[in-house]
Amino acid sequence: MKFIIFAGTPGSGKTSLIKYVIRELHKNFKIFFAKFDCLKTDDEKKIADEYGIPAEKKLAGELCPDHYTALEIPKIIQKNQDKDIIILETAGLCLRCSPYVKEGLGINVLDITAGHPERYGPILTDADIVAVSKGDLISQAEREIFRHNILKVNKNGKIIEVNGLTGEGAVDIVEFIKEFPEIKTKKMRLKHSMPSAICGYCYGNKIIDDQAVRQRYLAGKELKNLVPNLNCGKCGYKSCNEFIRAVLDGEAKKEKCPYIKIKLS
Amino acid sequence: MKKNADNAANAWKVVLLTLLNMNEDIKKITIFPGLNKFGKKENFQKIDISEGEVIAIVGPTGAGKSQFLYDLDRLAQGDTKSKRKIFINGQIPEKEWKFNPEKKIIASLSQSMNFLTDISVKDFLKLHIQARGKKADLKLIEETISEANKITGEAISPDTNLLNLSGGQSRALMVSDLANISASPIVLIDEIENAGIKKEQAIKILVEEGKIVLIVTHDPSLALNANKRIIINNGGVVDIIKTTTKEKGIASYLNWIETYILKIRDQIRSGKKIEDIKLFCKKIDKI
Repeated sequence: MKFIIFAGTPGSGKTSLIKYVIRELHKNFKIFFAKFDCLKTDDEKKIADEYGIPAEKKLAGELCPDHYTALEIPKIIQKNQDKDIIILETAGLCLRCSPYVKEGLGINVLDITAGHPERYGPILTDADIVAVSKGDLISQAEREIFRHNILKVNKNGKIIEVNGLTGEGAVDIVEFIKEFPEIKTKKMRLKHSMPSAICGYCYGNKIIDDQAVRQRYLAGKELKNLVPNLNCGKCGYKSCNEFIRAVLDGEAKKEKCPYIKIKLS
Repeated sequence: MKKNADNAANAWKVVLLTLLNMNEDIKKITIFPGLNKFGKKENFQKIDISEGEVIAIVGPTGAGKSQFLYDLDRLAQGDTKSKRKIFINGQIPEKEWKFNPEKKIIASLSQSMNFLTDISVKDFLKLHIQARGKKADLKLIEETISEANKITGEAISPDTNLLNLSGGQSRALMVSDLANISASPIVLIDEIENAGIKKEQAIKILVEEGKIVLIVTHDPSLALNANKRIIINNGGVVDIIKTTTKEKGIASYLNWIETYILKIRDQIRSGKKIEDIKLFCKKIDKI
């Protein structure tokens, strides 16, 4: 099984490029496609209908989309043991997170009109392939400067110019996918650590007051030690953190978590 | 073992070429036929294009002209829609030439010429020279701007902001940039006509640098000035016409008319009254 992640900011042309890539691959390989997004998408349906491959959408909702992606990867692999290639698409929204895994191929779709490459974190610097989109909108000289600037922050990445409208560049990416090794280990690792975002805001709130946020952090931390951190969903919430938020907001009783209930009794 | 030796040899070649800061000499491009829209083989055995040649690519809208340029740009090896194959100097080109930006042998002047960087012309050229892995010296920058000014009627000053250039100025600057800064020996141009620039001068500057120029165009004086024109229809090459001496003469006449129109344009711009118009061509360049 090969594991491919396409990441890039919204509107950079990921989905259009993926369509061309899947068009080249779907006849000879068994593919599973998952689209990660925050609030709404129906791209997975379009791809499933067009190429007759299984596809799913994964909406992060209130969770950080990159954290959510990492949490879902083991489940996706478990469910798709019979596939040759798994393709994930994710927005990598905060630019600081790393959506890529060590054992998989990481492709960053980078919109050339979106400004200086130095603004991006691991989403660009850790990518194996940097697919530069919308290059047809600017001059050759500026394209070359842009490529040069990419090399400054990611000197090992292969830079490929792509065009989501014409499919230009998709065959080059297909070539890399075909040559890329299968995953051998059951335990994959992220290429870059997730941000160490541990503060009162991690449990969701609107407060602007450092003392109050600290109080919320301490209260949340106490609950964090009680919940199983398995995101099992038995409490009715998508993740343990979301459940903690609900408890802190008085929306849910902490006994709703079966693990806490056992511990408390 | 042999592969290792090859790799070592290639590595040395790369080091040497980097030291010399140049590409390998590109003497010839060869295009082998692919299939047209209906899956029929194209009507030629092979097309050879040599150093310093200008080739026009003509045909109706949607005929497949841009695909032809795209095949060249990505040095197709039967892996594109058209199934064409491109050889350089009689051989399959190295992969490096396609992906490594510093060694890319093909540069293209695209239809859109927008800039995004908020910077002066002179600093922009400096950035581009550095991106090309060269030392940014003032002389090269001045030369690039002065050659650009030979192509456009409206002079570009080194301190003009890139975002304030007119369409004609942008095109002129990019042509001169291709000739002077970009080291790629092959230049692809997708339509150049809709701009207030001296087109013939633009092509001349590129050819003088020894580049191979392939240009998609419907412009009569440009097409008739090329060494050959490749006619494309229904996704495939249908004919290759070698430009005749008579056609070159006609091109020269058409070019005179265009230069004349540009002159009137400049006079109108500078507030002069246009009293008279010459409808005949006084001097025909030697053919």
